[in-house]
Amino acid sequence: MFIEKDVVSRAIKGDGEAFAQLYERYFDGIYRYIYIRLRNQSEAEDLTQEVFVKALEAIGCYKERNLPFAAWLFRIAHNLVIDYFRKQGKVEKVPLEDDMILVSKSNPALAAERELEIEELINHVEKLSPAQREVISLRFGAELSVAEAAKVLGKNEGTVKALQYNGIVALRKMLVADK
Amino acid sequence: MTRKIEDIFNNCLERMFKGESVEDCLGAYPEQSPELESLLQASCALAKRASAIEPGPEFKAQVHQRLQAMLYAEQKKLAERAGIPVWCRRWALATTAVLGFLLIGIGTVGAAASTLPDETLYPVKLATEQVTLTLAFSDMDKAKIHIQYAERRADEMVQMARQGKSDKITMLTGQITSHLDRIPVMEEEQEASEGRVKAKAPHAATAPAPPSEAEAYSKGTEVDELKVALIQSRAENLNALRNALDKAPEKLKPVLQQAIENMEEDYNNTIIIIESGSNK
Repeated sequence: MFIEKDVVSRAIKGDGEAFAQLYERYFDGIYRYIYIRLRNQSEAEDLTQEVFVKALEAIGCYKERNLPFAAWLFRIAHNLVIDYFRKQGKVEKVPLEDDMILVSKSNPALAAERELEIEELINHVEKLSPAQREVISLRFGAELSVAEAAKVLGKNEGTVKALQYNGIVALRKMLVADK
Repeated sequence: MTRKIEDIFNNCLERMFKGESVEDCLGAYPEQSPELESLLQASCALAKRASAIEPGPEFKAQVHQRLQAMLYAEQKKLAERAGIPVWCRRWALATTAVLGFLLIGIGTVGAAASTLPDETLYPVKLATEQVTLTLAFSDMDKAKIHIQYAERRADEMVQMARQGKSDKITMLTGQITSHLDRIPVMEEEQEASEGRVKAKAPHAATAPAPPSEAEAYSKGTEVDELKVALIQSRAENLNALRNALDKAPEKLKPVLQQAIENMEEDYNNTIIIIESGSNK
């Protein structure tokens, strides 16, 4: 059974196996969150790797009482995404890659269908306000709770719920317009 | 009112994330149901699409290995920072282990011999191996023991592959690398210590004397012996792991494939370094 508090405590003390368990638990979520923000597979991979390298370097200094572990880890990701856009001098709008490889190719027809769906999703998410986009990526990509997302963003839970609600209302309109 | 709908919507979302259907959630809030229905359906579509975004298994395994290497390097650095002389560390380790044997009992160590990385007694197995290495008489003996332990790790990897434990496979790959890395290092240490002994001899020339024919022959034979042992070990391990790869579940294959490639490269590098050392 995965008891996060114990695993985190062991990881802080330098237990590699405990860190590996945290890696397994959060890797996909971190990748999804970054991918939705960056819309670029290779850059999302680079940044995902950087998140875990930074986390490994800094975990000895992590204090549970300040921030839950998930929020701490996603804050690293959030800061790296912000740095990425700052360094690139980009606003968060970049053209979609034509050759994106997102999902397993074991079933090409299904993979193609999923890629289209994901492309559509990301196109819609891109049209949201930056704050809504951030909340939607954390809630639906990273699967964080409202409380955790609020901690990552340094906002209160009420604000996160409002951003989530308004974001979904906007996305619903886009989905209806597609039909 | 607006605030209320946001809270209700979030409650429904949480319930959906836990596996409840849209209908179940709407049933709990009949008054808001007309407004919520389409929002929850849109959320379902969004969650489904987002969950299809997944990192490639090769990429995931690659990052895992990089992190393992970082951890290994960090542990090595900490050991070096402790600043305790190597002979002292060895004796401390040996003494601790002997006390450990007395306290825990031979039975535990015996039981640990067949344990796997996910079992409680596995650290005892590793500690016992460390003691065996510490107490080995010569560097040649140590090199052979390292090869033997690399084979053990490969056997354990096969077991872990059968159980589908990818994190253990990565950890064991790191350990095999560590065992193989130690073999050429010991050769260098042996040469260095031989050089020191020669320099301390009362009538030694400033430059170390070239090895006699007998010494060169003896060294050459040992290197050949080591090389043969490494080649055999490489063949056996690769064979066992490739068989495991054939039977492994698809999800595990990239990790295992990467482990096989790394191990083969480590063996090849070790053999090359030993060969180049013997040609000096």
